[in-house]
Amino acid sequence: MELYKYLPKTNCKLCGKTCMAFALDLLQGKVKADDCPPLLEPKYKKQYETLKELLGSEEGVEKELRINVDTDLCDGCGICVTICPVNARYCPPSLSGKAPDYPPEKHQLFQVKGGKCELLELKYCRRIEAEGRERECRVCETYCPREAVKIEYV
Amino acid sequence: MKRSVCSGCSLLCDDIMVKSDGIYIDEVFGACLKGKEKFDQVTSQNRILSPLIRKDDTLQKASWDEALQRTVDLIKKSKKPLIYGLSNSSCEAQLKGIELAKLINGFIDSNASICQGKVLDNAVNSGITLTTITEIINKADLILLWGSNAAESIPRLLNKVLFSRGKFRMTGREIKTLIIIDPVKTASFNTMGVRDVALRITPGKDIELIKVLKEECCAADSIPSEGVAGLDKDDMKRLLQHLSGAEYGVIFVGQGLLTPQKNSNLINELLELVQMINIKQERGRITLAMMGGHFNMNGFDHVALSMYGKRGNLHFKDNQILETDENIISKIENEDFDCSIFIGTDPISHFPMSLSSKLAKKPIILIDNRNSATLQLASIVLPTTITGIECSGLAYRLDHIPIELKKIINPPSKIPTDEEILNQIIQKLKSDGGN
Ligand code: SF4
Ligand code: SF4
Ligand code: SF4
Ligand code: SF4
Repeated sequence: MELYKYLPKTNCKLCGKTCMAFALDLLQGKVKADDCPPLLEPKYKKQYETLKELLGSEEGVEKELRINVDTDLCDGCGICVTICPVNARYCPPSLSGKAPDYPPEKHQLFQVKGGKCELLELKYCRRIEAEGRERECRVCETYCPREAVKIEYV
Repeated sequence: MKRSVCSGCSLLCDDIMVKSDGIYIDEVFGACLKGKEKFDQVTSQNRILSPLIRKDDTLQKASWDEALQRTVDLIKKSKKPLIYGLSNSSCEAQLKGIELAKLINGFIDSNASICQGKVLDNAVNSGITLTTITEIINKADLILLWGSNAAESIPRLLNKVLFSRGKFRMTGREIKTLIIIDPVKTASFNTMGVRDVALRITPGKDIELIKVLKEECCAADSIPSEGVAGLDKDDMKRLLQHLSGAEYGVIFVGQGLLTPQKNSNLINELLELVQMINIKQERGRITLAMMGGHFNMNGFDHVALSMYGKRGNLHFKDNQILETDENIISKIENEDFDCSIFIGTDPISHFPMSLSSKLAKKPIILIDNRNSATLQLASIVLPTTITGIECSGLAYRLDHIPIELKKIINPPSKIPTDEEILNQIIQKLKSDGGN
């Protein structure tokens, strides 16, 4: 388990359990990284930070999905428009690589306007809507030839 | 909001939505940046709106009548005129260009000849079919980009051929294999998935790769263990496996392969390789598609074929067609011309120095809509409309499918089209007699 790797692994039981049990609780959000006192010591600083990063969105504070399109890099190739599964489902022309109809369908996530990609509506992105593995969709980011799409949580 | 065709490159995307009041273009949806830039040309700083003629060694504004008269006078004096360009013009204009060449006993050639040359002829002769975009979308399971930076030259090509979900390829990207053979890591490499094959070939060694693959087709295990052309043996084996295992494979032949190379018959070798693979093929076949640049790159071949039964350049003498092996390059190299007419092209910047310096020595008549290095050296400049935006016309897509371009807005200052300008020159030459 990845989280376990970053714990002190000393089983000092200051948290009231073993490191492994602590890691499991961390995963389920029952405890926070700060609940492990040794982890706050300077020598574990790096591990502590990595853990914080890993836990990111799962930890208490709600993180919000952002999909940023860098319009300086984008050249409007339309790959994101075509490959986004939500677009494919609601905009039939995009099945054959064509630009979706205008005006955009209400679920449509991307469109190309004035030679640049434009994010229309994030609400229906699979990262928000879908369940299970589909929720891990990141094809728009993966296949953009200009590396202009970035999925982030802020 | 009107549906329209983009004439930004030879893909001629027909899914563009344009918002316009008939005078200006307000918004363009669906076109890539390159296409958008084409639409922007209408109001660009670079646009020329008035005829120009060279007086006292500077270009000065002139009236249409004066510029046309000068053009005709110059053509009449010329014994060996050269007409070149026309790949950014409609087929109608190309037809007029050929008519003019015949009338003035000139040599006419389009931009296509320096990149595609005889590829099409040779492919057809060896029985290899060229495929169409629609077929690729619906059937292809293997896309090979060879020496072509698709993401750069035809920005929406990969979107259409690789990411679309065609009739028999419903799952889209996952079911298609992408192979790229290129010396540099282009933006197209970013569209690769885990199962795809990236081959970084040593520049200029494509011919060696083809030869070894051909040998391997004849007798297995003839690939040298150290590999060739900077590629290792396993990669080459995988490449060949993919090619011979594909149900419907397409090789996109790019500029890297099309640029004529001295002493090497790269394209013919490639065609032979494709033939050999197709014989080995168990399930399907490999087809070719050519990556053109200018939007009507293929049109001239079709017009010439329908008029005179041959593709490529035409040479006229005594108003008859002359069989010749010459092309635009050899014509310029041998300085076998005394005046040139360029239509929608900028050879002074595109040709190598050795050729452009020769062009610059003879009078140039330029028919174009924007400022360029060629314009700076021209004797006469006739401004023209932007085909596909300010006038309609026929063009052939990169897969040789005819597409009708539509007029969206009126040209500024009542500028005539390429076709009209060429026609005016023809009529004036005829009515003035002589030649
Ligand atoms: S306090 Fe930290 S180091 Fe100690 S057992 Fe718990 S998780 Fe392990
Ligand atoms: S895939 Fe990338 S470059 Fe292409 S339109 Fe989308 S953001 Fe722009
Ligand atoms: S993550 Fe998936 S669903 Fe969300 S915008 Fe990108 S491609 Fe579409
Ligand atoms: S790919 Fe070519 S034809 Fe299509 S929108 Fe871009 S420039 Fe225009």
